[in-house]
Amino acid sequence: MELSDYLDRLLPFIPFLLSLSVHEWAHAWMATKLGDDTPRHLGRLTLNPFAHMDMVGTLVLPLMGVPFGWAKPVEFNPIRFTRKVRLSFGIMLTALAGPVSNLILAGLSLTALLCINRIELAHTYLQSYPDLHLWGLVNDALRMLIYVNITLALFNLLPIPPLDGSHIAEAFMPKSFRPYWDRLCSIGPILLLALFIIPMITDINILAWPRSLAERLIDIAVP
Amino acid sequence: MKRGSRTFLIWVSLVAVFVGLYSLQASEKESAPTPVSFSTFKAEFEADRFSRIWIAGRQITAEYSGSEKARITTTGIIDDDLYTEIEDKEIPVDWNNPEDGSKEVLSRVMGWAIPILLGLGAVLFFLRKASARSAGSWMSMRRSNAREASKTDYVTFADVGGCNEAKVLFADVIDFLKHSDRWTSVGARLPRGILLEGNPGCGKTLLARAVAGETKAKFYITSGSDFVEMFVGVGAARIRDTFETAAKNAPAVIFIDELDALGRRRGSGMGSAHAEHEQTLNQLLVCLDGFEKRDRVVVIAATNRPDILDAALLRPGRFDRRIRIADLSDSEQLEVLSIHTKNKPLSPDLSLASLHPLLCGMSGSDIEALSNEAILRAIRRVRSGQDKKVAITLADFKEAAQFLREHSRHISSLDALLVGSASQFLRPSRKVIVEITLQNGHKCEGEVLWADPKFLKIKGLDASSEILVPKAQISSLIALSDEKNVSEAEIQVRSLSDIQQDLA
Repeated sequence: MELSDYLDRLLPFIPFLLSLSVHEWAHAWMATKLGDDTPRHLGRLTLNPFAHMDMVGTLVLPLMGVPFGWAKPVEFNPIRFTRKVRLSFGIMLTALAGPVSNLILAGLSLTALLCINRIELAHTYLQSYPDLHLWGLVNDALRMLIYVNITLALFNLLPIPPLDGSHIAEAFMPKSFRPYWDRLCSIGPILLLALFIIPMITDINILAWPRSLAERLIDIAVP
Repeated sequence: MKRGSRTFLIWVSLVAVFVGLYSLQASEKESAPTPVSFSTFKAEFEADRFSRIWIAGRQITAEYSGSEKARITTTGIIDDDLYTEIEDKEIPVDWNNPEDGSKEVLSRVMGWAIPILLGLGAVLFFLRKASARSAGSWMSMRRSNAREASKTDYVTFADVGGCNEAKVLFADVIDFLKHSDRWTSVGARLPRGILLEGNPGCGKTLLARAVAGETKAKFYITSGSDFVEMFVGVGAARIRDTFETAAKNAPAVIFIDELDALGRRRGSGMGSAHAEHEQTLNQLLVCLDGFEKRDRVVVIAATNRPDILDAALLRPGRFDRRIRIADLSDSEQLEVLSIHTKNKPLSPDLSLASLHPLLCGMSGSDIEALSNEAILRAIRRVRSGQDKKVAITLADFKEAAQFLREHSRHISSLDALLVGSASQFLRPSRKVIVEITLQNGHKCEGEVLWADPKFLKIKGLDASSEILVPKAQISSLIALSDEKNVSEAEIQVRSLSDIQQDLA
């Protein structure tokens, strides 16, 4: 393994870490907005990445090259939500806040990418610092941000527990579905594991779909 | 450092690390040989452009002659003809990759250093998390677990029957908490600690809740046993934390129930359990002293056993106001009964005053139990179809009183007086007339005014003389009838030796 290979893996880790912090912060913020300040007391209402790091999901997995990971789940107490929202709706909002924050971040990065690629002024300004590799730096950083955030958002929207998408689906679940849903809940983590293992065995690389979507978006931005 | 600025700094440093790594990566890529196709390599080779060639298996790297020393790399096979040509051109050949050499020492070191660093980092992180988790539970245990009174806990003074002396003092406390400037401007100091003493069920906790309801101050409810934990020092830490929280949220009232669990006399035993206990108690004493005069914090404590409390707790400046919640007098009993039957349907021909003989010797909680039993019986009658509407009758009350007496170890008033007075100073709750025969043959008769561990004070029937009788000289003591119904009062005749046996 050469240094540049290591760097290739290390470089996207930092945008990943920062995007993950924003994701968890969004969960905490939404819960606090709805009236439960448990996340604040637990120290999760912060953008500090170290507060959200989870051993396996944040460090081991991404540094091993898996383009996915997770952080410590933000604990909140739905009982403390304001009475103005229904409990299940409140839980859904809190769960939704995470992926939405990632989508917002992806959108912002896309806009920035658009700007620096299409606006001549920005283009020439960035290229005037070849020593800092500023042009490539900003370009690649924004691309990484887009990719990471889209991956995080799409993955978390999957209705597989313990991902956020499962909480969103629960809010819309009709009662008749409940028994099937509970069974799905119990095998959820195994399903996720399959999601990682299947690409290694077969040619179906599910993990690549967010990447292709991100690339398609970037192509729209960059002519 | 403020939390927000620390987070900002972390983000900035992460971005800086990113920039640095990116630069490193870019320079790596720049100095790396450019991949070309084999035909390009061949073409350049034919044109004599190269000064050096490396061959490692199928990987061929060639360096241009010239000042730039740019390199290209390709994959292909050098067959014999090509090799002969290389030899003819006298181009030096190395049989490895160019990086396998002195140049990229950094690269090689990083090659094995990074996995090791990652592994170490992971292990350290795990360790710190593991210890932090146990430290977490440790730290949380040292937090005060005082419960802050919620709306449902609040009652008002109207809900408390009797205890008039206490109510007067607490009116002062409430005024102090509401208008402290009025007090501090004239230099008045409120009793810092108020100790409520009384028999079980006489309404100490209820009074505290009423104080909470009447004042707008924050009310913290703890119990003496809340400060007792397995680990040394936790009790003291909890006391500190409770008092600090109260001081921060002043005006506040701290209520410590069952103070005797915590405030026993110090030095009465050996061993680490006692030492820990003393440590907690010492911390309580220090905290009680630690408040400024202007602090609007009042501590109310309740106990059944004031006699075992440490004397240092009771000195002026700490729990210097002791209120004994006496047993209820007749009128107070009726008052309590009316409070408890306020929201219960009574049959129209029932007058509460007629229940008076039933209530002899009952404490507040007994009366509450009595009224509850009565309403249960009324409901039972409705359920069994005897009555249409729920209404308590006299018979209900009588049955309830009988039931409770059988099921409680309630002793009669004279017994209560004599047994209780063995350790405390007591007054009878109702008029009790006794005839005492002393060992030297004297007889005296009269109403018992008070009793304490060594003496009885009798008021002569002619209301003029008060006699102090040492209990040690009593040979027999007979209860005579008092003015209320004797049959309901169950006053028993007991001699001193019987009483002494009970006490032994």
